[in-house]
This record gives sequence, structure tokens and C-alpha cells, in this order.
Amino acid sequence: MWDNPSLRCLLAIAFLHLLGLIYSQETGFPEAPENLKCITHDLNRMICSWDATSSANLGLTYKICYTNSEPFSPVCIETEGKRADIPVTIGSTNIQITTLNASGTPLATETFVLPEENVSLIPLTPQILNLSADFSTYTLYLKWNDSGSVFQYELDASWQIQILHKETLETVALINYDSKLTGKDSILSWDWTSDIPLECTSYYVKIRCYINEPYFTGRKEWSEWSPIRTVPEKDTKPNSPMVFPQDKVVLVGSNVTFCCLYNEGESIKFMKYGSKSYPLLRLNKWSSAIKVQNVSASISSGTNVWCLLEPDGLEGTVLFVGYAPDTPQNLSCETHTFINITCSWKPGRATELYTQRQTKYILFERISKENVTCEVDELKPEHHCNFSVHANQKIYNFTLGASNPLGQAESSLLIDVTQRVHLETPDKFTVSTNSSTNAHLSWYIPGNFIQIRLLCQIEINNSNSEQQLQSVSMAGAENSNYRAWVDALHPYATYTFRVRCSASEHFWRWSEWSEGKKLTTLEAPPARGPDIWRERSPVGETLTVFWKPLLLSEANGIILSHEVSCYSREIMLKAHEVPVPLNSTEIKLGGNDCLISVVAKNRAGSSPPSRITSMDLPSDNVKTELAIATGNGIYISWPSDPNVTCGYTLKCCISSGSEPCKVDWEMFPSNATDAVIKSALFQPGVRYNFSLYGCKHSGYQLLQNITGYMKELPPKVAPNFTVEETSSDSILVKWEDIPVEDCQGFLKGYILYFAKGEKSSSKTSFTDEENKTEKNITDLTKKSLRILDLQGKTSYRLGLRAYTVGGIGPLKDLYVVTKENSVGLIIAILIPVAVAVVLGVVTSILCYQKREWIKETFYPDIPNPENSKALQFQKNICEGNTALKTLEMNPCTPNCVEVVETQSTVLKIEDTEIISPVADSELPEDGSDPETGSHVVVSYCPPIIEEEISSPPIDEPVGSSQVIYIDIQSMYQPQVNPEEEPEINFVTTAGYKPQMQLPINAMKMESHSPTEEDLDKTVGYRPQANTNVWKLDSPDSPISIQSNNENGSFGSPCSINSRQFLIPPKDYEDSPTHNNTGWSFTNFFQNKPND
Amino acid sequence: MCERRFLGDLCLPVRRTLEPAHDPCPEQHRRGGCRPVHPEDLRPHQLNYLGPPFNEPDFNPPRMTRAEMVPSATVDFELWRNLNDNARLAANYRAYTHLLCYLRSMDGQVAKAELRKNLGHFCTSLQGLVVSIASVMSSLGYPLPSPLGSANPTWAQGPGATSTHNDFLKKMDDFWLLKELQTWLWRSAKDFNRLKKKVPPAALMLRLEARGF
Repeated sequence: MWDNPSLRCLLAIAFLHLLGLIYSQETGFPEAPENLKCITHDLNRMICSWDATSSANLGLTYKICYTNSEPFSPVCIETEGKRADIPVTIGSTNIQITTLNASGTPLATETFVLPEENVSLIPLTPQILNLSADFSTYTLYLKWNDSGSVFQYELDASWQIQILHKETLETVALINYDSKLTGKDSILSWDWTSDIPLECTSYYVKIRCYINEPYFTGRKEWSEWSPIRTVPEKDTKPNSPMVFPQDKVVLVGSNVTFCCLYNEGESIKFMKYGSKSYPLLRLNKWSSAIKVQNVSASISSGTNVWCLLEPDGLEGTVLFVGYAPDTPQNLSCETHTFINITCSWKPGRATELYTQRQTKYILFERISKENVTCEVDELKPEHHCNFSVHANQKIYNFTLGASNPLGQAESSLLIDVTQRVHLETPDKFTVSTNSSTNAHLSWYIPGNFIQIRLLCQIEINNSNSEQQLQSVSMAGAENSNYRAWVDALHPYATYTFRVRCSASEHFWRWSEWSEGKKLTTLEAPPARGPDIWRERSPVGETLTVFWKPLLLSEANGIILSHEVSCYSREIMLKAHEVPVPLNSTEIKLGGNDCLISVVAKNRAGSSPPSRITSMDLPSDNVKTELAIATGNGIYISWPSDPNVTCGYTLKCCISSGSEPCKVDWEMFPSNATDAVIKSALFQPGVRYNFSLYGCKHSGYQLLQNITGYMKELPPKVAPNFTVEETSSDSILVKWEDIPVEDCQGFLKGYILYFAKGEKSSSKTSFTDEENKTEKNITDLTKKSLRILDLQGKTSYRLGLRAYTVGGIGPLKDLYVVTKENSVGLIIAILIPVAVAVVLGVVTSILCYQKREWIKETFYPDIPNPENSKALQFQKNICEGNTALKTLEMNPCTPNCVEVVETQSTVLKIEDTEIISPVADSELPEDGSDPETGSHVVVSYCPPIIEEEISSPPIDEPVGSSQVIYIDIQSMYQPQVNPEEEPEINFVTTAGYKPQMQLPINAMKMESHSPTEEDLDKTVGYRPQANTNVWKLDSPDSPISIQSNNENGSFGSPCSINSRQFLIPPKDYEDSPTHNNTGWSFTNFFQNKPND
Repeated sequence: MCERRFLGDLCLPVRRTLEPAHDPCPEQHRRGGCRPVHPEDLRPHQLNYLGPPFNEPDFNPPRMTRAEMVPSATVDFELWRNLNDNARLAANYRAYTHLLCYLRSMDGQVAKAELRKNLGHFCTSLQGLVVSIASVMSSLGYPLPSPLGSANPTWAQGPGATSTHNDFLKKMDDFWLLKELQTWLWRSAKDFNRLKKKVPPAALMLRLEARGF
């Protein structure tokens, strides 16, 4: 029946209702429990506590009955205290607490329904098992038990660790730490690093816990803080003042805090890092600190940090700032001796740390698991470390570790030691010989090379710096001498030997070269006989035998002498020895020919003999051929001669400077037909002569002579030339040969230039002259040339140059004048004259015969103009003046002026037809103004009027009437020389004068004190005539009357037609008619002559 | 023979000391007669190696214990005048013997190899001086003095012998001992100058030359 859940539920509801009724009936008793609180530490049991008044009733006990949903029956316990331990149930728990008195009588009963939400999960208070400190690293190490066994299953736990410092327990850090509870007790550990040395102040630590049970719906709370733990003091805590951290090593760029500890009664004056003072941070009453940011690398002895204490004290520490070691670079390992393996590397960036803080290197070999501590020399840029070679181990796996207080780095390298053999420099190197071609070499190499073969290289340098390398392979040995043998050396030659070695099979590196050793091989007999030649004297009595010294490579030693022998039919007739350095000797033949033999001798022996016959074959018709210059030699060719059986010999005699020529020769095989001859003695532009001999069976025969140049140059001089003959149209030029030594090449011809030119004219080269003519004369046999088609009586410039293949030589020139052609001139004059005469005669005859017809046609009778009435008036006016014919062409204006006696001082001009407006209106009152350039036209004064003007007596009073005719065509402004002015005598120089002068002089005379301004004003037109005359004749003129008009010079007589100035006759006063003469002459070309 | 290679850091006028006949006194002493030398005359740049504050001119730290164990060169002028030649030479010999011992032990402490090399040269020179003094004493018939204090004093083991010394205190030691060395060199110049007036210079120089100086 109880298994029915619905029934069970109904019963539970009824029970609760019943309890509620009970609770409602008993509320209000003082002993009734209240404020029930339950907490659990392990989610298994919970501790419930409540409040109840019990002061008056001692001996009260409590009966607690709790009922879970299952099992349904309540469980009751009794307790004397106000707390009870009951199990934690899922869902809610019904708790009935009954207060009992000492006799067990219930006093009050209280029933609580405790849902899970009202239960708090508070973990057990954690306990710190251990707290330790590493003062060198400022690190605290904390250990505690997580009490995981409290819970039977895994749970997430969080821990909170609080670091406090100073006496005031200031929180330095609050760190959360998560862990997982595994159902078993575990020791958890945690560390924390301070940024201040732990010695600087006191540190404290406490911890609490939080359990995160996701299925628990009640309150989850942090546990209580663990009891506070103090960081244990350093064993060596000083009693005296100190600065911390002590001798610390930090990375460049770190932030470092230093503290200065001092005793009671002391205080810090200042604290410095190096030479810089920093603000003090007070940590406690016996400690202050400074904080240095971003420290830079310290000096080699470290950076000093020090504090000055008051009243007296100095404390300090040293900080070493640097870098962690760089990865070893270029790690390379090799063996020199097979005893040790030497590894080398570059340290990379400097750590800036020294002595015990400097980088330590350890070379570890993984296969043998051996390591070596390396001693390195800081001064060297590359570090080395040795590792012993192990027997039966070829492969080595090295790891080079670098470490210092700030860090570590490593490099690895795997090698086969047999492939990394770098032998030591060969030592005790010796060279010896006992022959002329061989040498023995010996050297020593330290080390054990039994398991490998060696390859050694021998360098052989001869005295000509020619280098030869010989390689030799040999078996390795242990600390042994190695030997080698070199052959094919040259006798009596000095060589320098060096040797270096390496492993033969697996080349890695050559050793260094050994020191060089010199050796000279022994002498040997000369390798061959000398080159010989002979020359017979002109008479043929003696024969001079020449030989060339052997080359050093052929002599095989020092040549001491040459033995010259003369054989005839294998019988030696003569022999004698010629010591060096002679290279020729004479042999008296005595009319017989013989075979000459020459042998060179040195200490080791004699050379094979060189032989030559003394017999010369006759030669006829020997030609001289020209060789071709190649620039650095002479190219010679010759026709092949089948009779030549034993070669050709080309002989020459080259002289250098003032020394006599030295016989030299060269031999060619029988089939040779050309050769390029080269010699250091050859010079450009110098002619060399060669003789080509053919070696025939019975002797030598001169085949041809050859001449040539190594390099042809332009002729050194110009050819001398002269003019042999000159005519009116030709010149014969003749020249001479240029001396051979001046030719500097084979002459190819001459170039003759000629052009018109005077000797006095500036000389230009012919090449610049445009009208030059040049003739190229390639026929060298010609020594003269006639230049034709020249002009007579003309100066010509001639030039002559010679040229070779090398260029054109200098020019020589001369001038020549052709002769005059008189006949031609005469003909040229006579013919035109004769033609003219003939024409004249013929014309005269014709004219005479046709005179009547001509007269009628060309010259009929014309009435006399003088008889014309139209011009009758002119005759009256201009009577007696026959010169005025212009009036016929230009109707003469009857300028009849009546001279009236007047006292007026004003210039009066009367002109009935031509009235110059300028004369009236523009004539400046202050005289002429040349700047205006005004064109004043004034009428011409006919002579008749002049006569009238000139008639008044000289002493006529000023102010009498005056008439002046002026015609000014243009302003005439002659230059006036002021210096000459005073010298002009205006009286004696009457006649034409520059118009400027007259008024100046006149003004000088009249006014006697003309100012400079006045002079300037007079510049311009001035009358040409003698103003004295005008003044005398025309007392009314502006000057004569001393009027204000300073232009008193106007009024010069002039022609009305020509509008030119009239030039008065020089002796005007003497003969007035002369004036007319001048006028007539002017009109002579303009008018037809009157009659 | 002033050892200039240690220069800038520890330049000491060894030559003057070795050849007092030439230049027995520093420049300032020659003008108004020799005055008692004092460590304050040490030029600051000579201690650059130790860094600030040791190379600062007015730096005058408390004297370290080990430095106090070196025979002091500073002596009352009247007392110095009353010393006889034997006492003077013996004091020089004793002081340089100990200073040399100290300098040799410095070798491992000097950071840079180049400085160590220069220090080695300097020690060689100082060794020459000690030998020279011994030779002069011998030639004058004076017995060589016995070593100061115990046979193997702690300070004579050089810096680092005391494990509690940190680097700063070692520098303090170096500073004072080098100052003392400087003072001794100046005092020696005066001592040799005085000795030169009594002993024929030729004999003294001959002896010095014979020793390679």
C-alpha cells in the first residue's frame, strides 16, 4: 500500500499540515529554537545551528528530528549545544527541534523546513604547509593541501592567495589559482616572484578556497583565510646596512628595484645608480628603495649602486647588466692530428658580462655522452675547444652549449672525423739533390693518420717565377716524416719548393703551406751546340767565325769557353779555345776551305758540335729586294731554291748607336720561303739590310740582298727643290733626292703644290689653301717637273713634300713670279685702237657724204631763245649776268626789291613770291637752334641785288635798311674745333668756311665776350660768306645792328635752284664776279651751256 | 716606463720611482720642495675601471679593513725625516711586496682580458721594483725585512678571499689599495731622492741597470 506514490504524497501533505498546526500552537515560548542556519564543508554532512534562550534554564537539551524525503521515517538525535550535525539531503529537510529541560520535559518544539538553497557550502579553511623564499630570484614558494579527500568525487576548486608586505600589511598581490579536486588529498604548490628583493621588506602570505559544485543549489562561499604566514628571514640577514640585490645579473632593458637597508638612527642621504641619483621610495622604517627603468649594459666591472647614509655610512652593490649568450655561430669541427677534434665558433653578440658571469661553453658529444668545458680567449673573435678522438668512433654528434646567468643557447654539429681532416702545417721541410734533374723532399706532419691516405701538393717555383704543382699521394703514418721525389728538373736551375697536405679520400681543407726551401740543381753538359756563322774576308784569306751564346736553359751551367776547330776531310787542321765572353774568332784559311766546328763547354762537359763550311759559292746578278714593315718586325720573303739543301741563313749587321754593327743571323729550314724578323734592336724608321744565303751541298751562296724597315715613318725632311726656269706661263721645278737616313721608309713619291700667292702675304699651309693645285709624282726617277698654264707676271707659291707608306713628310716651299707676256699686251692694245680708227674714218666719211640729210634730220634750225619775248623782262633784270641760265628753266621770280632807306632795326625781308615763313615766324629770336633742325628757306639774292647791297659805304651808320636773301636747304653743322678757333683770322680767311666758324668769329669780334652758351647757340646753320662783307654791306643785318636777334649770321647767299650753299669766292672783295664764276661752275653740269 | 697600458684606469709612475735620479718628484713637488704625498692626489680618471663613484674626485669612502692591513705610506713628515735609509728601504720593500701580492691576486677579478694583460705587465714592472729595492738594500749591506704580520694573511690572498665580500666591497678594497699603492710610489720617489743624495748615483744606477731597468 505504501508503495503507491500518490498516497504517499497525500500523507506527506497531511503531515505537514499537522506540523503547521503544532507550530502555530507552540510559538511564543522563549526556549523555542529559531534562526536555523546550516552549512556544509563536504556536501555530505551539514552543521546546523540555531538560536534559543537558555539563560534561565540550565541543563537544557535539544532533540532534533529530521526527516528527508527518503527514508520517510524521521531520525532524532539529542544534543546539549545549539548545533547539530546532520546529513545533507537533496531537496529539503524537515527539522524539528524540541527544547527539553533537565528532566526531559519538552519545553518548546520548533519545526523547520530546510531547502537545499538555504544550505551554504563553505570549504574547509586551507592550511599552508610550507612557505619558502629564494632571495636570489625574489621568489616565494607556497605549498598547501587541497583536502580533496573531503569530497568523494572530482570538483573544481579555486584558490585565492594574498601576498602582503611591509609592517602595514599592504597587499602586494592577490592571485587566483584554480585546481581540480580528485577525491584525494593533494599538495598544491605555487610560486610568486617579487619585483623588489625579498630582503628589502617583510612579506606575508595567506590563502582561501572556493568549491565550485555545479549541482549544489545552495550558497557556495569562500572558505576562511588560512592563518597568515610570514616569509622566513634570510639566514644571512645583515645586521649592518646593505644594499639589495647583491651582485645581481639582469638583462639589458630590465627594470630593477634596489633597496638600501639601514639601522635605527640612520637615514639615507641619497641613493645612486651609477652616477645618477634616483628618488627614494620608503619601504619601511629601515628600508628605502629606488626603481631604475630600462637599464643599459654595465661597464666591465659592473654598475655601482650605492646609498650614502647619515650620519656616516656608505653602502653599495654592483649590478651587472648584459645579454644572454648568443647562439654559437659557424660551429665547425675538424681534426688536425686525429688525437683531438677542434671545434671553432664565433660567439655572436657580446654579452657584456665578464669573469665569473661571462659565457661558459660546454661541448657535449651525444654518442659518447662526454662533455668538455671550453676555455675561451675573449680577445679572439673565434673560440676553440678540443675534444679527444675516441678509438673506433668516426661519427661525432656535438652540441655546443653556451650559458651565462641570463640564459643559454646551443648549436649542434654532426661530423665524420675522417672527412674533417685539416692537417697541421708540414714541419721540418728539407730539400736535397744529387743530380741535375731530381730533388728529394722530406717533411714532418704531427698526428696519427694510419687510417687514412694523405694527398700532398708540392709547389715548384723556378727563377722565372713559373709555378708548377705536383701532387703526391701517400699512406698516412703516425707522427712520421713523409718523403717525395721530384724529377724533370732543369740542370743548374734554382727552384723554391713548398708543400701542403690534406686527406686524400675525403678532401676537407689543405694544410698551410710549409716554409719555402730553395734548391739549385747540379750542372749538366750544354744541351746543344751554339748557333754559328762565318764570314770570309774580302780577300778570302781569313774566316771570321761567329757564334751565339746559349740560352741559360740550354747552357745547363756556366759556359766557360768555346772550342773552335777546323776540319778538312775529317782531319782537324786547327783548333783553339776561345774563352767567354768572346763570341767570334778568326781563322786563317790559307787558301783552303774547311769545315768549322764550334763546341760550348761548361764544368759538366761539352756540347754537341755545331758545324759550318767555310766555302762560299759564287753568286751573280744578286738583286736587292724590299722587305715589308709589319710594325714590330720585318717581313722577308724569298723564292724557293731547290738547290738549297741545308737551309737558309739570313744575315744582317745591326748597329745600335755609335757602336760598330753586330753581326747577327737567323737560320731557316730549306722549305722556308718567308720569315718575320724581330729584334729588340730594331727601331722604327731605320733601314736594315739583310743578306740571304742558301746552304747548298758544297757551300753557302748569297741569293739576294733585302732591305727593309721594321716600321716605316714619314720622311724626316722635305726634298730640296729649286726653280730652274720661268716663263710667262710655266715654271720648271727641279728637286734632289732625300738622303736614305732621312727617308725613314721607302719613298713612294712627291707631292708638288702650287698656288697663286705673294711672298708678303701671310703664310698658310697648302692644305688650307683652296685654290691650290697639287701634282702627285710617283715616278721616283723624275727629278724635275714643268708646271704649265700659268699666268704671266703672277706670283706663285710652290711646295714640295715627299711621302712614304708611313706618311707624308714636311713641306718645303718657295715663291716665284712668272714673266710678263709683252706680245699679247701689245696686241691687246693695238687691235681696239685700230678698230676705233677704222670706225671713225668710216663714220666721218659717211657723215660727210650725208651731212645735209643729217642736219635736216637731227639738227634743224632752232629759234634763238634770247629773241623770245617771254624772257624779255629777264634781260632787264638780269642784265649783264649771262651766267644765270637757270632762269630759263625755272621762270625767274622777279624778286625786285626796292631798297628803301629806313632806320628800322628789324630785319626786313621782302619776297613777293617765295617768302620763307620760317624767316618770319620760326627764326628763333635768340639765334639759330640747331637742335630743332628747322628748314629755313630764304630766297636767293640775285647778284644785282648784291651789288646794290655792297654799294653802301662802309661807314654807313648802323640801323640803315638791309635786305638779305637767304635760302637754306638744310642745316649744316660742321664740327668745330674749339682749340683752333682763336687762330682763325676771319678777315684773311674770307671765302668759304665752315658755317660754324663764321658766326663764332663774328660774334667774337662783335660782342667780344661771347659766353659759352652763346657759342652753343650758334651751332647750326651759318652763312658761308664772309660776314664781314655782309656786315659792311648790310648794316641792317641782325649782327651789325646789334639787335637782340643773335642769329645774325643768317642771310648767306645761296642758289635758289640748286638749293645749295653758295661758295663765295676767296677774294670776294677783290672781284665780285668770281662769285658768279663759282655759280656757273655749279650749273655747268645741270644746264645746257648757253651757246 | 710609466705603465700606460693600464692607463686610464691604473696609470702609475713606475719609471719615476725606478729612476729617482731623473725625476724623483712629481711636478708639483719639484717647485716648492717635496711635500708629503697624500692619496687625494690620485687623479679620478685613473680609477675609471671601477666606475662611479670611485672615479669621482671627491669620493672618500670609509677605509676598508683589508686596506688598513697594508703598510701605510702616509707618515708624519718629521717621523719620515728621522727614518734612516735602512728603515726607509725596508718600509718600501715590505709595502711593495704586499701590494704586489695583492695586485697579482687581482688578475682573476679584472673583467676584460685586455685589462688583465696590462695588469700583468704592470705587476712585472712592480716586481722589478721590488727586486731593485732588494738589490739596493743588499748593496748597502742592509738585511731584507721579514714579511709583515702572519705568514699567510687573509688580505694577502687578494680580493675574494673573504667570501662575505660582495663586489661593491671588493671595489672598495681595490680603490683603497690602489690609492695606497699610488701613495707608496710617490713616497718611494721621495725616499729614493733622499737616498740618492747620500749614495753615489752611479752605484745606484748601475745596480738598477743590472736588473734590467
